[in-house]
Amino acid sequence: MKLFFLLVYSILWISCNRQSKEPSSNIIIGRDTNVFRPEVANPYVSQDISPVDISYYPVDYPVQKMTDPSIPLPVARIIYSRPQRQGRSIFGSLLKFGEPWRLGANEATEIELFQTVRSGKQTLNKGRYILYCIPQADKWTIHFNTNIYSWGLTQHKELNVYAIEVPVQKIVNPLEYFTIVFQKTDAGADVIFAWDEVEARLPLIF
Amino acid sequence: MKKILLFSFSLFAIALVHAQQNGAKLPALDKSPMDMVYYPVNYPILKIQDKITQPLISRVIYSRPQKANRIVFGELVEYGQVWRLGANEATEIEFFQNVRIANKNIPKGKYTLFAIVNPDKWTLILNKETDVWGAFKYDEKKDVVRTTVPVQKLPESADAFSIVFEKVTSGVNLVFAWDDVKVAMPFTFTDIK
Repeated sequence: MKLFFLLVYSILWISCNRQSKEPSSNIIIGRDTNVFRPEVANPYVSQDISPVDISYYPVDYPVQKMTDPSIPLPVARIIYSRPQRQGRSIFGSLLKFGEPWRLGANEATEIELFQTVRSGKQTLNKGRYILYCIPQADKWTIHFNTNIYSWGLTQHKELNVYAIEVPVQKIVNPLEYFTIVFQKTDAGADVIFAWDEVEARLPLIF
Repeated sequence: MKKILLFSFSLFAIALVHAQQNGAKLPALDKSPMDMVYYPVNYPILKIQDKITQPLISRVIYSRPQKANRIVFGELVEYGQVWRLGANEATEIEFFQNVRIANKNIPKGKYTLFAIVNPDKWTLILNKETDVWGAFKYDEKKDVVRTTVPVQKLPESADAFSIVFEKVTSGVNLVFAWDDVKVAMPFTFTDIK
């Protein structure tokens, strides 16, 4: 019996810890409006309304590295800005179908591959790329481009190195903040792009 | 005993529901959001405007904790301890050219920035171990350079921790500002083609 309680409580403990590290999507929406405060007095640089964020694969790589200092290099990391919905209609409205979108805000979204990976039938060499997409109602074309360290508003098509068409799926809980996250798959990992009521998955094989 | 069991089971069920909600693993917005700065300042904007006159020198990616009415230095950031100069992931600096810091040649590449904060001076540290969380596993053996710089008082308090590049006659200062203090880490670069 004691063992049973120990089991239940350890599962509970783990669940609660997970909860504090990975807030559910419900919490995301509740917190959005007061997460940042515009600061007039900051003489340096005010907070971006679309703050930068970083996603690694393996997920939470820097945290994992604390417990396992010998962990090999990550597979990939993405640095992107997180625009928020703010009651607007996003796809087909704020973002026009058929027009390029930087998959974020401000600076172009950057993916760094720490090793060569495959996507579809294409091999992507290790290195840095920027990502953008051309959204449609039912599918997105995601482009890898070498115009790194650029602002995301203009795309140089001649620097495109790879494009893949991926389907768009509806998600249950609409997201206030644009979100990019990696999710493990049998073949490697998907890069999930999610915002408003949709998500698209870019498969990476490694 | 039955009651305890029942209670345990309901807790268990609640935990399961939570775990399922977490299944999507979509991250919330960070309380200390990330930001990045380039030198030349606003390089990505200059790039799309075809206004670049100088090659890319450096980029810093850091998280921006907020004072939020707390006492920052000496309490939240303890004196004499290694601090990640930000929040969450440790602050990353990348040099796209070789630079000189504190009379030491620093080869181009990615580094992690830390600081040991004191009331009147900060020791700024460049360390080779990248993609790390905080300063919890900071290893002095991987330091590339340390430089100690004086603390300057700000006329107005900055609520959000800020890092900016400032051009000065001798080169560039990497300025760190939070609460009512700022420090500047000077660096120079020569091998611009």
